[in-house]
Amino acid sequence: MKKCDILIIGNGVAGLFAACVAADRGKKVQILSYGAGTLTIGGGIIDVLGYDDQGKFVSDPLKGMESMSPEHPYAKTGPKIAKEAIDSFLKITEAEGYPYLGSADKNMWLPTAMGNFKPTCLVPRTMDASALFKAKNILVVGFDTMKDFYAEMATRNLRERFGADKSVEEFVVKLNFEYGRDLRDISAMDVARWLETDEGHQAFVAQVKSHVKADTAIVLPPVLGLEPNYEVLDSLQKELGCPLVEMSSLPPAVTGTRLNKMLHSYAKKHGVQIIEKARVVGSEIVDGKCLAVITEGFDRQRKFYADQFILATGGVYGGGITTQIGTMTEPIFNISIKVPEVQTDWSYKQLFADKKQIFAQYGVKVDENLTPVAADGSKPASNVKVAGRSLAGYDFCYEKSGNGVALITAYKAAAAFCGEA
Amino acid sequence: MAINKQHAIDPDKCTACTICVTACPVTAATRKFRGPKMTGPALTRLRKLVSDDDPMLDYCSNCKTCDLVCPSGVPISTLNMIAKNEYYKTHPRKSKADDMLAHSEKMGKLITSLPLGSTFANMGMSIGKAFNVMGAMGIAQSAKMPAYASESFISKFKKIKQNPYLRKVVFFSGCYINYNQPEVGVDLVKVYQKNKIEVAIDENFVCCGSPMVAGGYIDDARVNAAKNAALLKSWVDRGYDIVTACTSCGLMLKQEYQELFDFAGMAEYAAHMYDSIEYLAKLNDAGEFDTNFVNDNTKYIYHAPCHLKVQAIGRPSMELLPLIPGIDIEEADAGCCGISGSYGFKADKHEIAMKVGSKLFNRIKNSHAELGVCECGTCRLQMENGSGVKAIHPLTVLRKAYGL
Repeated sequence: MKKCDILIIGNGVAGLFAACVAADRGKKVQILSYGAGTLTIGGGIIDVLGYDDQGKFVSDPLKGMESMSPEHPYAKTGPKIAKEAIDSFLKITEAEGYPYLGSADKNMWLPTAMGNFKPTCLVPRTMDASALFKAKNILVVGFDTMKDFYAEMATRNLRERFGADKSVEEFVVKLNFEYGRDLRDISAMDVARWLETDEGHQAFVAQVKSHVKADTAIVLPPVLGLEPNYEVLDSLQKELGCPLVEMSSLPPAVTGTRLNKMLHSYAKKHGVQIIEKARVVGSEIVDGKCLAVITEGFDRQRKFYADQFILATGGVYGGGITTQIGTMTEPIFNISIKVPEVQTDWSYKQLFADKKQIFAQYGVKVDENLTPVAADGSKPASNVKVAGRSLAGYDFCYEKSGNGVALITAYKAAAAFCGEA
Repeated sequence: MAINKQHAIDPDKCTACTICVTACPVTAATRKFRGPKMTGPALTRLRKLVSDDDPMLDYCSNCKTCDLVCPSGVPISTLNMIAKNEYYKTHPRKSKADDMLAHSEKMGKLITSLPLGSTFANMGMSIGKAFNVMGAMGIAQSAKMPAYASESFISKFKKIKQNPYLRKVVFFSGCYINYNQPEVGVDLVKVYQKNKIEVAIDENFVCCGSPMVAGGYIDDARVNAAKNAALLKSWVDRGYDIVTACTSCGLMLKQEYQELFDFAGMAEYAAHMYDSIEYLAKLNDAGEFDTNFVNDNTKYIYHAPCHLKVQAIGRPSMELLPLIPGIDIEEADAGCCGISGSYGFKADKHEIAMKVGSKLFNRIKNSHAELGVCECGTCRLQMENGSGVKAIHPLTVLRKAYGL
């Protein structure tokens, strides 16, 4: 493993996208990954900014960024970089034959498995909800033994939302899977695999077709195939003669898996080397510069050298940040994160308080160049940048900026290391 | 300091995120398997309370894809193996083939020690198939079984005259190379000698135990582990590095021993263990790898075995082989081949194994490559069986490129 130009730690959406951006610019890029990134269980959609600091809906995320608090990652990137990042992501999706819809300056509304709507920016074509708003009739399709999707509930909520404007009906497809639910749950992934087979395709069409009236749009959980392409969507739309729209749903996620496969495919085609199961435990820093990061396994420690490093290891859930009572640390560069000593001060009592949760905003502080800043104000390593969920200052869940902050900060970090941005 | 293993066996580290379920190739291929999260960490917690268990955990192939994707470092596959071995202590086995497949070394020893043994054994395989003896034993009718060599690697090794060098390794050949494909071992010695490395072997090494653990014979594996661990430690004490050319042997000796057993010296020798190509890649990093190659204009497709991916060493073959002038090599990147050692030979698993490997087989066929390349012996067999394209060890490619 010879020294590379840019070494990326983490292969979630931030790490993979940073790798794609840098490899596109001719850099020799390596990714060290420990476990698959959490994007494989995420929704596969790109939220950029749905609600501002006060909880007000933002119709144009690029505009909304201008009034973020200075601690927010978007305050460090700004709308210009954000637009470049989103455009660059869209180009990758096109090159991979799985183009996404949308743009960074406009939020769209996506139906959720509950039958509510959430704002988001970029979605795969399988989630183009505009068809729902246009159609006169909506057919909610569920699957009789599938876990975590209740067609009845989604139908009831959609009916309430659309009122007398539209007719909302439900239909439940019978799966008749071998071993039903006896041995293991039937997830959206199982149904997606089934719809990729001729047998599943035909059974689905045969059951659903007679329920499709004129001017109908079908809405269903994300089950339209596991591969990053539109073969299942296109063939079903053709045969049923109506649009199909996937809702955003719970893990394990079909749409997140497609996004993961697409970014991996692009990265590998562009020469990115990925080393799996590489647990990074520390770094070698000399005179304020990182020379190498150190991995540890069952055999021995190894050093991975590079000119520049991007930390994209995720937050507490993804394993990028470790906590103990009263302390929080980024373990690779040993950056301590300032938190209250009393654990109960880390959060509002109500989990869904109508404001950003305190703990959700903990992360690594950075300067305007995304270089990490320790609690005492010092900068541990000048050739390191931080991207994605490791960053402090945002609550993706509250503000609906998941994947958006990851893409935009990853783009800024990678482009800056390539002499741009 | 290496990871300390035994306390890594903790089901409570699982956050039930389901990433392993999204990645498990067996879960994708059959509904008979409950999936890694359920049979691994989830049921392990229950097993602490109740002893009876689920026969369906037998469907775990120990490919370790779950371990590879787990963000919390849970040794999911090893939890499955421990449970499977407990299960067979009190339950009858599904087929008579389990014993034979788990103890491949016994078979290899027997066959190669008889005059013309391999001829008759290989003939016996085909006759056995014709009369459905295999089926009766629980081996899939259409599975292509490994053929036996007429002379073992150890016997061939003794006839090779080596130059002495300061850099010395002991080569743990493993059963597949010793009894089925000894030429791969010879390739290793030739390629290593070219790179100024002296190769030793140890006739006292026994089967690493990987097929025993996967087949539910963990007690036999423990006996072998005790022997091998002591021997490996003694070689390292004498200044040798250890190399393996079978990724499953490598993983077993280096990692799974530490997860399953507790013998002295395991962490110490593991610090000096290398995959055979990884060792050469390390020389390459130091500028000491011999790149005096002749042209090779062959089109190859490389498949990374699951048991290599999980070793955190990247793809050393994809670092070295592209250095050969004229070579055209790409990585298949199509997931598990399905065989998982002896899993795919079993009658009730063969169809699953072929389904798991189907993506790889199509990828190989569509690549129009002349040869497949892979470090793992049974993966190579499965690649050939599924795609019709012959597959060789990367050491064989290197030996040819050196003109040896």
